[in-house]
Amino acid sequence: MPHVVTDNCTACRYTECVALCPVDCFHAADDRLYIDPDACIDCAACVPVCPVKAIVDAFDLDGGADELITLNRERSRELPVIEEKTAPLPTAEARRQALNL
Amino acid sequence: MSTTLAADATVLGACPHDCPDTCSMLVKVVQGKVTGVQGNPTHPFTQGRLCAKTSHYQERVYHPERLLYPMRRTGPKGSGEFERISWDEALTTIGEKWRAIIKTDGPTAILPYSYLGTQGIVNGLTVGDPFFNKLGATISERTFCDSGASTAYVMTVGPTPGMDPESLAHSRFIILWACNLLSTNAHLWPFIDQARKQGAKLVVIDPVKTGTTAMADLHLRPRPGTDGALALAMIHVIIGEGLVDRDYVDRHSIGFDELSAHVAPYTPAFAAAETGIDAEIIRTLARDYASAQPSAIRIGVAIERSAGGGQLVRAIACLPALVGAWRKPGGGLLQLPLWAFPARWDHLHRADLATPGTRVINQWKLGAALTGSLPLDPPIRALFVYNSNPLVVAPDQLRLQQGLAREDLFTVVSEQFMTDTARYADLLLPATTQVEQDDLMFSWGHLYLTLNRQAVAPQGEAVSNAELFRRLATVMGFDDPFFQRSDEQILRESMDWDAPSMQGISMELLETQGYARLNLPAADIFAPHADGGFPTPSGKVEMKASMAAGGNFVLPTFRQGCSDHQDGSPVPALPTYTPPRESGIRVAAPGARYPLAMMSPKSHSFLNSSYANHRRQLARESEQRLFINPADASSRGIRSDDLVRVKNDRGAFVAVAKVGDEAMPGVVVAPMGYWIASSRAQATPAALNPTVLGDLGGAPTFSDNAVEVELA
Repeated sequence: MPHVVTDNCTACRYTECVALCPVDCFHAADDRLYIDPDACIDCAACVPVCPVKAIVDAFDLDGGADELITLNRERSRELPVIEEKTAPLPTAEARRQALNL
Repeated sequence: MSTTLAADATVLGACPHDCPDTCSMLVKVVQGKVTGVQGNPTHPFTQGRLCAKTSHYQERVYHPERLLYPMRRTGPKGSGEFERISWDEALTTIGEKWRAIIKTDGPTAILPYSYLGTQGIVNGLTVGDPFFNKLGATISERTFCDSGASTAYVMTVGPTPGMDPESLAHSRFIILWACNLLSTNAHLWPFIDQARKQGAKLVVIDPVKTGTTAMADLHLRPRPGTDGALALAMIHVIIGEGLVDRDYVDRHSIGFDELSAHVAPYTPAFAAAETGIDAEIIRTLARDYASAQPSAIRIGVAIERSAGGGQLVRAIACLPALVGAWRKPGGGLLQLPLWAFPARWDHLHRADLATPGTRVINQWKLGAALTGSLPLDPPIRALFVYNSNPLVVAPDQLRLQQGLAREDLFTVVSEQFMTDTARYADLLLPATTQVEQDDLMFSWGHLYLTLNRQAVAPQGEAVSNAELFRRLATVMGFDDPFFQRSDEQILRESMDWDAPSMQGISMELLETQGYARLNLPAADIFAPHADGGFPTPSGKVEMKASMAAGGNFVLPTFRQGCSDHQDGSPVPALPTYTPPRESGIRVAAPGARYPLAMMSPKSHSFLNSSYANHRRQLARESEQRLFINPADASSRGIRSDDLVRVKNDRGAFVAVAKVGDEAMPGVVVAPMGYWIASSRAQATPAALNPTVLGDLGGAPTFSDNAVEVELA
């Protein structure tokens, strides 16, 4: 199963991940990122660099994997690719603390 | 200095798998257990990335089905019923059986079978060669992968590393030929991506629609096995339209005039009829390839897998010289940069220990060799399998099963898992995974040496391949200290540290950094053949190959260092098109029993059959699928998710149909790697694969395979 971005990204959008992605499969919304699951090659390079552990192999989710893959796929189709790191959202630090990460 | 295992550490490792990327891995150890792995962010080729196979390598190490102890068969062959025994008992049994066989039939009745299940210098391709050469066993000709392409390449440009993979970032025009790069060579992608972002055009030539072809500016889909016509038509156009770099050709090649005359019949119209690709597209491809300099061609392992695959590579290897692509960084041909590494092959194989004249058996013929179909005197009485799972990777699956089931065959398998092949063993020996052993890796996809340090103690009683052969040497009474060298000695003695390309590289550097780039110019300025200097007999690109006079051969690298009993059959000195035997334009002739061409490419998440027993990778790949074009599906009443039987005279397997344009009309695609034991009809695509070898270097012809498909 592909890697997906979870809700942990919401209000953070750190974007450490995008510079590492070899296939430019991240897409940016105003509040968070999504992975195009059809473009992701599962290299997993993005996983350890996310400050809020928002990227997971869908295989590791306890439930809701299919829904999350579908969400990532559909949102990726509507949103532009993000290739370069940008500043985190102003709410990122507060969100990270709220997640205890 | 051997590794001292720390309870908590991040250890520098290296991926062991048979892949060009050979990644540097950071192995995280907590309380003596591997908790995760990560691509080394500082390695210029790994760049922090792993892949769908290895990103959770710890799941392989601690897989509940790991083989942890030596075992003896208790049920019928193939049943997978075993009981634990001690290493002493296993080794004593092997010694007794082998000595008895040697006494009655001689040592050639013993056949080793191996390849690159682990590909390090210590535990990989050559780990058993000194032992089996000394034993006098039948020599294994291991033409699994790129041997045919290598023969063709060496005949044309010599054993040169070719272009630096990283220099692809500077290419203006890139052809990926028979290479699903994002699944099988993904760490090369960032360099191609960089070139594309600077305006380079990417052409992918592959009958199959893949994630890689989705990235291409142009995806060309030749009928399987007809690429030779395409390559020769490119030469025809380049010469005919005056697109040749005459200065480069005059100074750095031989045979141009003969080649010019020879390619006259290989017109774009001829190639169009063979390949199904429009003649005008072929002309444009040739013009663009010639004019957009530097241009690069990356050929994948699959390129050799049809009747004329060798001469196809000969034709492709002429192209960069014809257009002067070698002049600049980012131009040329990328096949196997393995040739850059100054390994001490004589030391690794120890062919000097072999008995001159010892017979050689090509490993694609294992089924025939075990069943009497290949006349052998003496017959094979003992088989020793390590680093390989022939029942899934070799052709002729049904016959191979019959051979392995022979009660009079003594089979020993060293493995990490109970593979389909292991189920047929009389004795099973447990093998370590990469985090349980030391190794030093060269690469056939980049120019870095990468060190793998042991991170944790072996699981159960598993041993490294190097330790396995130390034990076997003791059992067989080999008293030469060479056979008792430690892993560390093997590691240090296997490279020529005095070679110019090793200057500045030390064990200390490797221990600190985990890797070291060979002492070659930086990729940005490295154009190895800007001024010729090809390692061929003439020192030039041999469009007309002088080595053809010696007939067909396999490089000694792929046959335990042995040069005896080469095939020697005649080889055309000029690149010549051989149509596919089974697939191609004739496959769908009226009344054909098997009107579809089948390809069985590598699965994205498996490495051949490795990882096809892992839940994570299976979740991504799902069960065995057969991709079929809507035109071929509808005429057979097949819809997506139907179960279908794929068959020819060699065998049959059952798959879930996926109807779509992943497969072109007339072609079906069955990703390989799935295990027989978990298949629906006790067979996998290898059951249909032909045993016939290609035109050069013992290459398989798995993409030259005619089948029929029906609802199961």
